[in-house]
This record gives sequence, C-alpha cells and structure tokens, in this order.
Amino acid sequence: MSIEKVNDLVIRGKAKLVPAAVQEALDEGCAAQDLLDTMIAAMDVVGENFKNGEIFVPEMLISAKAMKKGVEVLKPHLTTGAAGALGKVIIGTVAGDLHDIGKNLVAMMIESAGFEVIDLGVDVPVEKFIAAAEENPDVKIVACSALLTTTMPALEATVAAINAASWRGNVKVMVGGAPITQEFADKIGADAYTPDAASAAKRAKELVA
Amino acid sequence: MLTAKENMRQVIRGGSPDRVVNQYEAVSLLFHPYLMTQPLLQRGMENVVNGWGVTNSFPANVPGSFPVHTPDKIVVKDIEQWQDYVKAPSLKFPQELWDAAKAMYDAVDGTKSYKATFVAPGLFEQTHHLCSMQEALMNYMEYPDEMKDLIKYLTDWELELAEGICSHLHPDAIFHHDDWGSEINSFLRPSVFEDFFVDAYKQIYGYYKSHGVELIIHHSDSYGANLVPAMIEMGIDVWQGCMKSNNVPELIAKYGGKISFMGEIDNKQVDFEGWTQADCDKAALNAIQRCGNRYFIPCITQGGPGSLYEGTYKGIWDAIDRYNRETFGHTQEELDNARPPISIMF
Repeated sequence: MSIEKVNDLVIRGKAKLVPAAVQEALDEGCAAQDLLDTMIAAMDVVGENFKNGEIFVPEMLISAKAMKKGVEVLKPHLTTGAAGALGKVIIGTVAGDLHDIGKNLVAMMIESAGFEVIDLGVDVPVEKFIAAAEENPDVKIVACSALLTTTMPALEATVAAINAASWRGNVKVMVGGAPITQEFADKIGADAYTPDAASAAKRAKELVA
Repeated sequence: MLTAKENMRQVIRGGSPDRVVNQYEAVSLLFHPYLMTQPLLQRGMENVVNGWGVTNSFPANVPGSFPVHTPDKIVVKDIEQWQDYVKAPSLKFPQELWDAAKAMYDAVDGTKSYKATFVAPGLFEQTHHLCSMQEALMNYMEYPDEMKDLIKYLTDWELELAEGICSHLHPDAIFHHDDWGSEINSFLRPSVFEDFFVDAYKQIYGYYKSHGVELIIHHSDSYGANLVPAMIEMGIDVWQGCMKSNNVPELIAKYGGKISFMGEIDNKQVDFEGWTQADCDKAALNAIQRCGNRYFIPCITQGGPGSLYEGTYKGIWDAIDRYNRETFGHTQEELDNARPPISIMF
C-alpha cells in the first residue's frame, strides 16, 4: 500500500507529504530501490500527461519537486549512485540566451528519469559546455537549449564544438527550445531534438539504452 | 479612404475596412510617468534594481533585459511572508512629469492612430519577476491563498496606475503586456488561470473602459487559444501576439466579433539570421490568406513594433503595403498619409 501511496503522491505533486510517505514505506520494509523505481515510474506518468496536454507546467514542477523531496529521504538507503544510475547529463541554455524555465523543466524531468544532472545555467558559452564535458568524462548526454532565433547560431556553434571534440563518440547531443526543429537539429549535427520536457526525458533514456 | 485608426476600428468591429491593417500602424505606443522614471536598461548594464526591487540585467550578448533570479536576488524569499518582501513603488509623480508625458500624447495625431499607453509587466509576469518563474508557477498550486493576496496587491497598484493614466493622459487605447504561455500551451491550466486572473483583469480593464479607453490590446506572444473565453470576459478587444500554433483561423471563426486577433507572423518565421524580404512576403501573404480581414490584424508576434534582427518588421510592413496596393488599389502615398510614420520601438 505504502509504495502505491508514494507513487500517487508524486503524481499529484504533494511535496510536503512525500517525505513522510517514503519514510513510512521504508519503515514497513519496502526496498529503497523499489521506492526509487516507483517514483521514476510516477514521473513517467507525469511526463506523459504533460505531453498529452492533460497537465500543465506547474503540475509537472510540483511533481518533480515532490520526487526530489522523496529522493532526499531515500538517498541514505540507496547504493551510491543509484539515484543517477542512468548516467550524467550536462545541460545549459546557450550563450546569449537567458531563458531558463524550459531548460529547468528538462533538467528536472531528466533527473526524475534517473540521470544525474549537471546544470550549467543560462547564457553558457561554448567553452563552458566543452570544459564541463571534459571534467566529466563519463557524461552520457549534453543537452543544449535555445529559445530565441538570435541564439540559434550559438546553439549551432556549441554543437559544432562538441562534434569536433575527440570524445564526441562517447556522448549524445540533445537540443531543444521554441525555434528549434528536427530539421535544424539534423542540420547542425545533433543526435536528438525533442519539443517538450517530457519527450526529452524519454528520448534521453532511449539514447543511453 | 479611411485613416489607419478608422480602418483598424472597422476590422475589429466587423465593419467595412478598405484594406488590411498593417501591424502596429494604427497603434502609437506611449509611456506613462512610472515607466519614464524606471531604469531603462541599455545593452551591457547588469544588476539594475527597479521600483519593485526586481534586479534586471541586459548582458552585452543577449537581445533584451531579463530579471535576475539567483537566490540572493529573488525578491520574495518566502511566499507565506510575501508582505515582508513586496513593497509597491509610489505612483505619486510631480505635475511636470505628467505634463511631459501628456506632451507626447498630444504630439500624436489621434485621427490616424490610437494613443495607446504601454503597460508592462502584467500581473502574471510581475508574480514571476518577484518570485522567479519556477517558484511562482509552483506557488499557484501550493500557496493559492498567498498568491491571490499578492495578485490583489498588484491589482490595487495597477488600478492606481490606471487612475493616473486616465486622469492625466487620456489615452484611447491600452497596450498591456502579460505573457501567459509558451508556444505550445498556456502556463496555467485554464481553470486555474481564470481563478487567479479573470476578476483582477476585469477590474483593471473595466476601469480603463469606463474612463475613456476604447480599446484594450493585450499582448501575450504565446499559445493561448484555451484562454480566449477568459480574455473576452476580462474585456480584451485585441489579443496581440497570437502565434500560429493557436490555429488563428479557427479562433476567428469561433470568437470573431467578441475579440480580434493580431499576430500569426511568429518571429521565428521571419526574424532570424539571414532573413530575406521573400521570407517576409511569404509570411505576410500567408497570414492574410489564412486569416482574412475581419477580426484579424497580420502582425509580428512580438510585443511592440520592431524585431530582433534589423529590418524584419519593416520587411513585413512593406509586404503588407504591397498587398494593400495590389488588392485594394491604394497608392503608397495614400497609405502613408493615412497613418503616422513607421515607428520601430525595438
């Protein structure tokens, strides 16, 4: 029962109730990994509901927050790295662009899907993406966002620099943002484009499968 | 031949326009003392604090200014105690300032264009400027009572602003910003949006309407088709910024006569590196052919005349002028004489 309760509370975004529910489930003997898996499954439902237009950004945000609160309780009980078991993702909004909400949503959904997220923030120069990837040689995905037509060239330059790196074969590059299309993503040599945060999390999982 | 203002009125009221309205040609955007006394950020200026305590930056490599929401700069640090953090700026201005503003209104030929007071940010935007976007969006779900109280406080301030604007400047239109969505959806579920904002905007827009303002033009360059019934209830006459993703022809068919739509030319269609006049021609013609000339004004979706890349707005302007010459038989001179000179705000 407790594990279903955790699942339900994450879907409904009850951040204040999730920590106690997780603790209760642990006390009843639920395995930490099972609880993590149920929260990841809950976020899959949330993502799907968002993609289908059944829920809106605030609802997705509070679900991600609820999961984060649950993971905080869970962490001491998990084996090291279990919370980010799918690997590292570096994410940022490209140089000249200060928009963060889309990037933050993608970061939350990717983290909720089981990745460890390194968020470089907004207005991130090419060199910072490259340096972050080189400091984290085990990174699986670099995700870059651009919300303006004026920053599409910066996105192109960022992806070009990653494509020219010696370690390019070890990472996948994801791009997104309002003016970005699959056609543009193909043109600049990215591995994946997704139109929304939920699709991004799903695609990220496929890329590392 | 109708003046640009008369023609826009005909389009909005479903009358007999004699040409297509060319973007903002019939809307002269004008400031008020509060905006005039706020810091106007120039490229390269960082961490400038405005009257609400919101920090804004305009880094050299970005196209516009933005609120800064690092933890130390977020105004509302605890939504349950928002009253401790949010202090509305004074709206008491010396008469000379009102007179200086009024002189700008008097300089506009009110027969050719609406004298539209530019008001920004709107209520929703102000909540996320104060709280940060992420926190504000979550607050709507987790702290609805506090958010309602905050919106009431912001509404009272806007009503005081409206009182000053109407009594001193006498505009006949209001151009009010408040972005309510992304390209693909509204930020808030329509029922939540209505719960928080319909009554507040009914008060604000109702005040303007009852004090000599003919047109409420509301800017939200976003998806918002699901909010149109709420917009109508608020008293919005023209929704400027309606993006292509809204299926504007369908909206016109459904709501034309109750509200008009100004947009359909998304910046990303025309406003990019390497844009050409052909891109502008195509986008303008497509918008006119898809949406017609009743309850619709083809316009770049951004919230003011201009574009991110130099020349794009003028490119669309020229395309619509050409359409009007070829379709309605007006000369360029007639078109120019019927409106104020082109104004590029951004």
